[in-house]
Amino acid sequence: MAERALNVFWILLGAATAAHAWTIGLTGPSGPDSGLFPLIAGLIVAGAGAALLCLPSHRAAAPEWPRGAALARVLGVVAGLALMAGAIPYLGFAAASAVTMLVLLRTVERSSWIGSIALTVGTVAGVMWLFGHALGMPLPRGPWGW
Amino acid sequence: MKRFAVALALAAAVAAPAAAQDPKAIKPKDFPTQPIEYVVVYPAGGGMDVTARLLAKYVEKATGDKILVNNRTGGAGMVGHTYLATQAKPDGYTVGVLANLVWGDAMLRAQGKWAYTDLEPIGYLNSDALTWVGPTEGPLKGKSLKEILQVAKDKPGTIRIATVPGSMWEYLVEQVEAASGAKFLRVPYQGGGAGINALVGGNVDIAQGFFAEYRGHLDAGKVAPLAVASNERMPYLKDMPTFNEALGGKDYIWAVIRFVAVPKGTPADRKAYLAAGVRAAINDPELVAEYRKAGVYFDPALVNSTGIANDLNRYAEREREFYQQTGRLK
Amino acid sequence: MGALDGLATGFAVILTPANLYYCFLGSLVGTLVGVLPGIGPLAALALLLPVTFTLTPVAGLAMLAAIFYGAMYGGSTTSVLVNIPGEAASVVTTLDGHQLARQGRAGAALGIAALGSFIAGTASVVLLTFFAPALAAIAIRFGPPENFGLMVLGLVCTLYMITGSAVKGVLTIALGFLAAAAGIDVVNGRERFTFGSVDLTAGIELLAVVIGLFGVAEILANVEHLTRNTLVAERIRGLWPTAADWRASWMPILRGSGLGFLLGLVPGGGPVTAAFMSYAVERRIARDPSRFGKGAIEGVAGPESANNAAVGGSMIPLLSLGIPGNAVTALLLGALVIQGIQPGPLFMTQRPDLFWGVVASMYVGNVFLLVLNLPLVGLWVQLLRVPYRVLFPIVLLLSVVGTYSANKNVFDLWVMLGFGVAGYALRKLEYDLAPFVIAFVLAPLLEQSLRQALVMSPDGAMILVKRPVTAVLLVASAVLVGLMLRRKQRSEGGNA
Repeated sequence: MAERALNVFWILLGAATAAHAWTIGLTGPSGPDSGLFPLIAGLIVAGAGAALLCLPSHRAAAPEWPRGAALARVLGVVAGLALMAGAIPYLGFAAASAVTMLVLLRTVERSSWIGSIALTVGTVAGVMWLFGHALGMPLPRGPWGW
Repeated sequence: MKRFAVALALAAAVAAPAAAQDPKAIKPKDFPTQPIEYVVVYPAGGGMDVTARLLAKYVEKATGDKILVNNRTGGAGMVGHTYLATQAKPDGYTVGVLANLVWGDAMLRAQGKWAYTDLEPIGYLNSDALTWVGPTEGPLKGKSLKEILQVAKDKPGTIRIATVPGSMWEYLVEQVEAASGAKFLRVPYQGGGAGINALVGGNVDIAQGFFAEYRGHLDAGKVAPLAVASNERMPYLKDMPTFNEALGGKDYIWAVIRFVAVPKGTPADRKAYLAAGVRAAINDPELVAEYRKAGVYFDPALVNSTGIANDLNRYAEREREFYQQTGRLK
Repeated sequence: MGALDGLATGFAVILTPANLYYCFLGSLVGTLVGVLPGIGPLAALALLLPVTFTLTPVAGLAMLAAIFYGAMYGGSTTSVLVNIPGEAASVVTTLDGHQLARQGRAGAALGIAALGSFIAGTASVVLLTFFAPALAAIAIRFGPPENFGLMVLGLVCTLYMITGSAVKGVLTIALGFLAAAAGIDVVNGRERFTFGSVDLTAGIELLAVVIGLFGVAEILANVEHLTRNTLVAERIRGLWPTAADWRASWMPILRGSGLGFLLGLVPGGGPVTAAFMSYAVERRIARDPSRFGKGAIEGVAGPESANNAAVGGSMIPLLSLGIPGNAVTALLLGALVIQGIQPGPLFMTQRPDLFWGVVASMYVGNVFLLVLNLPLVGLWVQLLRVPYRVLFPIVLLLSVVGTYSANKNVFDLWVMLGFGVAGYALRKLEYDLAPFVIAFVLAPLLEQSLRQALVMSPDGAMILVKRPVTAVLLVASAVLVGLMLRRKQRSEGGNA
């Protein structure tokens, strides 16, 4: 079911990019222009998607999608990463990663409070030192200066 | 009033005394408390990056502040320019080390999201004039610019020239073609350096670049300088004519102008301090010597400027005129 | 100055305590940077460039170069242990290296990787020593047509990496082309597929794609099945490669060295392409290709040697001609310029102390790295005993910082997340992700060089036939495709 939906998605994606590539321009004064390679690639994607839709032998053998607790864990990590990416510009790197790590450790891993906090503080401090100080990489700072 | 051995005096954009000033004297309270970021929009190791790192070294020497040079690359400078103009906080901790290529980005590609006036210049660094170099082997060997133009006119489309689409490399070729009736075959490359490599490898006939890019090959006799797009001849290559001389015009001026700018809205005291730091560095004879080694020149109009922002903006408006004349801008 | 005299000079220069110290420091930092997922030699070099200002040119350059090839040693570590590439050139090592770890043979994988890296690294420096000027003269003549031929060959090799459904494989390759199209079209300077996003004008960042597809997706898959406490259930069997491992590996190491060296030499090549192509070659040549992806030691030996040899190869245009072939060597060039040195064709004769000093430092550095990495194998393997619930947040955080280090742009983190989720889902649906990455890397160069070649050619596509090297490469590609189709036909005909 999911695979069929994916194949339809490929067809749509391929067709859309091919159409967009067509509008960009296929040939210029001296050969291919910006749109030619994307057009070909888009057509291949759409064609492959159609082929997969029709050829059952190429389907994956019963993929197991996560359910229940497993699904919660996976979504938890995804949400955690999204939270981190969203929060860094506002909270700065240190705070955003500390919050994310703590949340992940508590919800996905169900670690104890003490263990989570200890691991979070240690890891974030270690990473900040290693990258920010030893390597000299400018990590985003929060409103409180670090 | 102090005088320096090298007679350079850059004034800050803000109304500050024309005499160079010890930056430590006007250091604002509580600034800076963390490293200052010098943003370079081109990849590390390139000409702009080297300029910025040398500058940072001498600004650190003059002010004692810590400076971090950060390369925000992508989109041929567009990503970094947009960051500086729209996202960087105008708190004095972000400084852009820019080239006049930012004007092209602002006028042609920013699509109204930002203008070059969102960045306020605080100091002029140097200029680097675009140069044409030709081969030292093959049928074009030993020919002057005029002779090559004649060949390009007689046999249009046979002489391959390396260009970088969408910037001054292309504009200069256009100008020369329009004035002389020559027609070149323009081969696109990602930068001047790649074009020079192609010349040495025999894949193009003429390359366009800056002294620092072709100097190694020049010394080894692999490239021959043809002409330079500046007002005067370069001191390190006195035999190379300018385009103005060779073609009898005065508009063949294409150079990278390097300067330092801060986002609009940076507090005046911090801006003056940053400008003083840059000025102190640029007055340091060691930095001047390092820059000269890279083949740059110092545009007298900008070096002696009393209002660098206004002067640079005038150059920017001249570029806008060029774009309007050539139909790139309405 | 002859090569041997030069080497004598070089060793005299490098074998001082100060220079040795900086060479060692570079090796250490390089290993570290290679081990850390995401952050690679380019970011590390850019960050540490200011350190070289206060050093002598030899020390500075030796240190920076050591970071470059040191990263190729370290990159295999996380690839093998946690299936997350240390940097882009180690993606292929995850395919078989991690499977070996799961079979309890992480030590063998890491050991072969280290030894292969040493052999390849040293071999490439030997070739550099004796053949640099001649090879440089050849490399400089590589123009757009030759680049195109090479990229086509690379693409054909990518086809060999497809396991499972050929249709899905071709689809992922085409997707790689599409993803690579976003950004600025070099040939005409216009934006393409950016949809108004400034971040996309820079194109999609390779590191974000790699860490997302192989790092985040991996973590998601492991988190899903969190019934295991540690990553590797099997008892860890032996820390060193066995004789059988050696017998299987020594030819891939030699092949990888040669291939990697050549790919590092030509512009646009480099360790990433070298590793991928070595894997494809090994798979093609193997008597039983189905072992690949399940723990074939050749799949570690070849690529890990290739990426190290590519470093030596890429130093040749830099040192002999002053021409950087990739972003890392461009940075090394900048470091030299800042020191007031002008690299160029005369560099070797004007500054033999510096030229040969750096070459000698590469021999020394490879020895340092071997000594550093072999004993560490035992230490790294112990990491596998750490409970995953403690390990994964740390690895995740490191991956985030590593991705961020590429462009200091939070947008890349979103790209990483997106590719992570996509990679996780696609893996379940039996899609190969490695072909996507190699297509993503090759596509821009392939397209750019074809279009450049057509522009500069007086007679259109004929230039591809008239230039001998290009013609050879294209014919070789066609032959490989033909062989592949015939093999497939035969195997399918046999099953019918």
